[in-house]
Amino acid sequence: MTAIRLDGLTKYYGDIRGVEDLTFEVREGEVFGFLGPNGAGKTTAIRTLMGFQSATAGEASVLGADIGDAEALRSARRDIGYLPSDPGLDESITGRRLLDYHGSLRGDSRSEELLKLFDPPLDRKVGQYSRGNKQMLAIIVAFMHDPELVFMDEPTSGLDPLKQEELLGFMEAERDRGKTFFFSSHVLSEVRKVCDRVGIIRDGHLVELEAIDSLLDRTGKIVRASVGDTVSQADVSLDGAHDVSVSGGDGSDETMMSFTYTGAYDSLLRHLLEYDLRDLSIEEAPLEDVFMRFYDDDPQAAVEQVEGEQAGEGAGKQPDEDERAGERGGESADV
Amino acid sequence: MFETARFEARQQLPGAVALAIGISVFAGMMIAIAPGILAEVDLEALTAQLPPQMVAAFSLSVIGTIEGFIALELYEFVWLLGLGIYVAYQGAGDIADDIEAGRMDMVLSAPVSRGQVVLEKFLALWTPMLVVNAVVFAVVFAGTRLIDDPIAVTDLLAVHALSIPYLLCCGALGVFASVAAPRRVVAEGAAVGILVGTFLIEAVTIGTDAEWLASVAPMQYYDPVAILTASEYDLWGAGILLAGTAVLLLASRQWFERRDI
Repeated sequence: MTAIRLDGLTKYYGDIRGVEDLTFEVREGEVFGFLGPNGAGKTTAIRTLMGFQSATAGEASVLGADIGDAEALRSARRDIGYLPSDPGLDESITGRRLLDYHGSLRGDSRSEELLKLFDPPLDRKVGQYSRGNKQMLAIIVAFMHDPELVFMDEPTSGLDPLKQEELLGFMEAERDRGKTFFFSSHVLSEVRKVCDRVGIIRDGHLVELEAIDSLLDRTGKIVRASVGDTVSQADVSLDGAHDVSVSGGDGSDETMMSFTYTGAYDSLLRHLLEYDLRDLSIEEAPLEDVFMRFYDDDPQAAVEQVEGEQAGEGAGKQPDEDERAGERGGESADV
Repeated sequence: MFETARFEARQQLPGAVALAIGISVFAGMMIAIAPGILAEVDLEALTAQLPPQMVAAFSLSVIGTIEGFIALELYEFVWLLGLGIYVAYQGAGDIADDIEAGRMDMVLSAPVSRGQVVLEKFLALWTPMLVVNAVVFAVVFAGTRLIDDPIAVTDLLAVHALSIPYLLCCGALGVFASVAAPRRVVAEGAAVGILVGTFLIEAVTIGTDAEWLASVAPMQYYDPVAILTASEYDLWGAGILLAGTAVLLLASRQWFERRDI
């Protein structure tokens, strides 16, 4: 079943493009990551799907409700949660009163349970809250009516690292209960922890849509190795290694090499073991590098590039979802 | 149903109480000084020296009685202009401010319709209308009896009751500005500007060929001086104000359902 469907969805603010020609689907029960740098159009897409603004062109439906049909969308919102990137909360009242009010608008079957995970000081006025406490209050509002689908726009912003982990863990548990997430972020490390598929948006255009693992495979790893040999750049003749840099070696007995690698681990390790390997780190490329590496400034060229690469790599690229879920827990490298 | 109205009405309460206290203090002062002024100053002779148009514009000819004095000092200016502007200003800030601060996103992410939100925001404006009317009625009723110059209770009740359609119309004007204007300050400025502008139009066109222009002014349909000094209750005018309120609310709803937030 499809939870969200976009078909050519376009939103312009006058002459300024918000998003253009977005076409993709989010399936029920998946965590869909919507990735892109700030200003790419993530919030515009989410707010258009929520019905806060009308689409300039194209169509979309959320839980079967056409976003152009206000009554259908209003009804669908019983099962939709929304966590904006910068939640607008009444600052003159206490957190408890704010929860009472939002609970009366959308129903409240879970706030007590949620307050054990996310614990803003409910008896204080919201105006006295830290950014993190406001975010936790907004998370409770988003989930208090136990929605089927939750839109989250940069949900971890403002949360301390511990709470970020708790939120991501909570999302995984909710996904296992069959909930669907549309999760926008510009941080690859959090997206890779919970998302099944990702769409990458840049300058209002969708430039990538694929399973997270296949994206990570293509974006590559940053490999840094310290070896006890003298190595020149030309010696690193490994297939899939890009942007190789080598330092040291002149007079010292240690050479540092680093490169971006997009191949399989066994051939990488086999190659590195040819040296006197002293230290090794393998990390995911930061999202910013992903953009730099795969997409130049022209979105159309980027789309063509992506399409060309996908055609060249063949159809067997999407990994099995169940297998991937098993692998997710074993991944340790962070950006 | 009506959760937003209840919530917003409570939000309005502190401002309404402060306003009621402020106006009550002013009303008390006016009532306290009224006997001295009415006994010692020949106000009618004084107004006779003013330009006739000014006397007509501000109904100054009736200032020589307690009813006329209170009607002019309190209701003509504080009610028509002050309270009308307050309600319009609150209405204008309401939705526009929620949109600017992102609060409207949170409300509209719930299964509520935009039309319902507009209506409930408007209903919350009853708080200042009821609180200020009830408190000031009690103050004027008791005060004029304390100075032994009571105003007829039916007239006093009428001047407050008939102010409700006028204030509703002011509130609806504010709500319309709130949904139609791109920003809060524009909405507030437009709502207040329209009220002040129409008040002045009504004042300067009295007795001129352009008097018909004043028919756009809401204060044309609520005349506290006529109620208190001549027991003339303009029910037809109240009906026009209620009809205007309905039209403005329907237009607000239509507009808000179509606009981007």
